[in-house]
Amino acid sequence: MLELRLVQGSLLKKVLEAIKELVTDANFDCSATGFSLQAMDSSHVALVALLLRSEGFEHYRCDRNLSMGMNLNNVSKMLKCAGNDDIITLKADDGSDTITFMFESPNQDKIADFEMKLMDIDSEHLGIPEAEYHAIVKMPSTEFARICKDLSSIGDTVVISVTKEGVKFSTRGDIGTANIVCRQNTTVDKPEEATIIEMQEPVSLTFALRYMNSFTKATPLSSTVTISLSSELPVVVEYKIADMGYIRYYLAPKIEDDEDMKPE
Amino acid sequence: MAVGEALALLPQIEALVSDKLQVVSYKWLSRNFSLTSNYAKRLLQEFVDKHGSELEVIYTLSGWLKNSPQNYHIKLASGLKLAEVKQEYIDNCSVQVYSVQACIPKDPALLWNAEFVQAEELFNQPLTAENCLRDNRYCGVSNSFVKRTVDGKSAGATPHPMNLMGATTHSKTNTVSKISLVQPLEQGQVGQSAKLGVKPSTLETSSDKSNNPAPENFDRTDKSDFVKEATSAAQANKKKGQSEKTSSASSGSLANLWGRASTKLKPSTPAIDTDKAVPKAASTAEAQICAREAADASGSDDDDGHQINYKRESNGGSNRKRKFIMDLSDDDGDEENVVNLASPDPPTKPVLDCTHHVDHLVSGKNNLGLEKIKKDTSETWQDNGSERDSSSTRGVFLQKISENPVSEGLVVKVQKDAVGSASTSPQRRKVIKTRVDERGREVTEVVWEESEVDTKNSEKKNTAGDHGNRPPMVNKAPASSNSALSNAANKAGSKKTAKGGGKDNKQGNILSFFKKV
Repeated sequence: MLELRLVQGSLLKKVLEAIKELVTDANFDCSATGFSLQAMDSSHVALVALLLRSEGFEHYRCDRNLSMGMNLNNVSKMLKCAGNDDIITLKADDGSDTITFMFESPNQDKIADFEMKLMDIDSEHLGIPEAEYHAIVKMPSTEFARICKDLSSIGDTVVISVTKEGVKFSTRGDIGTANIVCRQNTTVDKPEEATIIEMQEPVSLTFALRYMNSFTKATPLSSTVTISLSSELPVVVEYKIADMGYIRYYLAPKIEDDEDMKPE
Repeated sequence: MAVGEALALLPQIEALVSDKLQVVSYKWLSRNFSLTSNYAKRLLQEFVDKHGSELEVIYTLSGWLKNSPQNYHIKLASGLKLAEVKQEYIDNCSVQVYSVQACIPKDPALLWNAEFVQAEELFNQPLTAENCLRDNRYCGVSNSFVKRTVDGKSAGATPHPMNLMGATTHSKTNTVSKISLVQPLEQGQVGQSAKLGVKPSTLETSSDKSNNPAPENFDRTDKSDFVKEATSAAQANKKKGQSEKTSSASSGSLANLWGRASTKLKPSTPAIDTDKAVPKAASTAEAQICAREAADASGSDDDDGHQINYKRESNGGSNRKRKFIMDLSDDDGDEENVVNLASPDPPTKPVLDCTHHVDHLVSGKNNLGLEKIKKDTSETWQDNGSERDSSSTRGVFLQKISENPVSEGLVVKVQKDAVGSASTSPQRRKVIKTRVDERGREVTEVVWEESEVDTKNSEKKNTAGDHGNRPPMVNKAPASSNSALSNAANKAGSKKTAKGGGKDNKQGNILSFFKKV
């Protein structure tokens, strides 16, 4: 028996929006600790990991571990039927092949039930080792989204290089090149507007902007984004979900060759 | 160029000015219609005399200023301010029409825009191409820095574009600081002013005959003194003008003006020869046509854009004649207006330097006609295994009937080619493609599209051939109908490789970092 009650229903809607562009089908794993998802995109270049801890739910009951395969587009369709202020409750019976979404309006005068069929999805769970990252950049998520969007209009890949000066996003395309440098900036009124760079050693990696732009679909979930870089490791783009958990994207870097653009 | 023929330009100028709102300056006119610059000025003067009331005129005044007599000055002045500016000059300055336009542009740069675009195009032509900028053949300025190549053949000797630019920009600046150009320039002006006298008289005689007489309330006061003086000697001058015209035409090398002769000169002929060579091998009734069409939506410089190379191949095999009238498809509405209102006689427009010029001719309707021809040919078209074959079938080579340049029709001689079974013939169809070129103009092209992969090959080959063989067209839309295709293909290809995403070799795989549990 599974029963999760989330007061802030819009959060689930945002989560789905943040994932469904990258992944079409995925298993949602429920355990006593929380509600999680891990999935790779179809080309096995990016991986998304979602965690919503049980403490974040108003009511969380999960009798035994459960993996529910869902088509994310269908989930999104269901959730679109929920109002932004609605309370969302997920219910599933043991051994059932359906999941029920219940939407309650804030003043309880409207209650809607949506039952969705589950699907069997073969998925490989990847072990993600804990790693020390050479550089960790924390910046406003909207800023990051803007950079990715702007750069993708010029080139296909972005070189993210972190030096003690700051973090530089650069691209090159048919029409020209672009470089965007963000310096460390902690002197801001609101902490979420700060750009904080923690660097052990300089790092420079190349990524496909297409994926980065998919990641920025999570921008509504958090006002800040954390980008962790290490040479020889996938970048981690993390959006914290307040009081509940996170959504993390892992993206394998592009292997640079000589002629590839490297920051000078 | 005969006077009558030149007069036929007037309606075209009117069309350009009133319909396309283009600034028509004498320089533009000179290059576009292959006139000498002096003649172009006279033509404009004539035009102003005729239509002066309907449009705005910018005059060039040149002479010695009262307040700085040591410098020779050239100033531009609008018709309204002409008298005022004239006061600044000592005694008699030379007054010529610089440009005509529908209204005085707010930004003076607009005055210069059309001719700049034109000059840019001319300069962008390959070095081997002869054009009137490179050989400077229409330049009215003569001095030791400006080399003029009267004979088209010697154009390869790299004239001095820089000097030429200097000379052309010269008259643009309002106040010209003194340089060595000054003296010759003055001479040039004097000469011109004498010739200018021709205009009024020729105008008056011709305007009666003119098909669409314009209200003749031109303002005589605008005319400078010398014009009036010269009227008396109109007859003599007229003759002079004519002879000058013919000489200018011949100096431009007839071969350059008319597509036919120049087998040796013309860059386009090699292509034809190859065409011919192929058909010779097999000689059944297969039509081989190569057509190039340009459609250029933009108004300003489209006369260049409208260039079409056409060539008629008289081959012994079967001389099927077809009437072929071309009209620019995307300008349909425009052109019709032009025809109705201003009635320019498109074929009378002289060619620009050595390329053969079909003006405003390709229309949708006639495209159909062309397509029809094309279909005929494609039915029997055989893939000889020769790519050249396919490339040469790509278009229609037309040649204007040079004996009768005024005729509206063009005769296409359909070239017969080796034939095979229709079964082997690739499917092709005519496709209208619209793209935006590097200058931001919308270019609509009619291209042949083939399903086969070999299209690309032949396309490429064709383009290469074009670049090599017919330099003057390289920048032109028609030529690029092929090159554009291949460009597009290339681009697509490169995009694919660049965007390969997951399949990209350089893209790492997440599975190589994280192990399955």
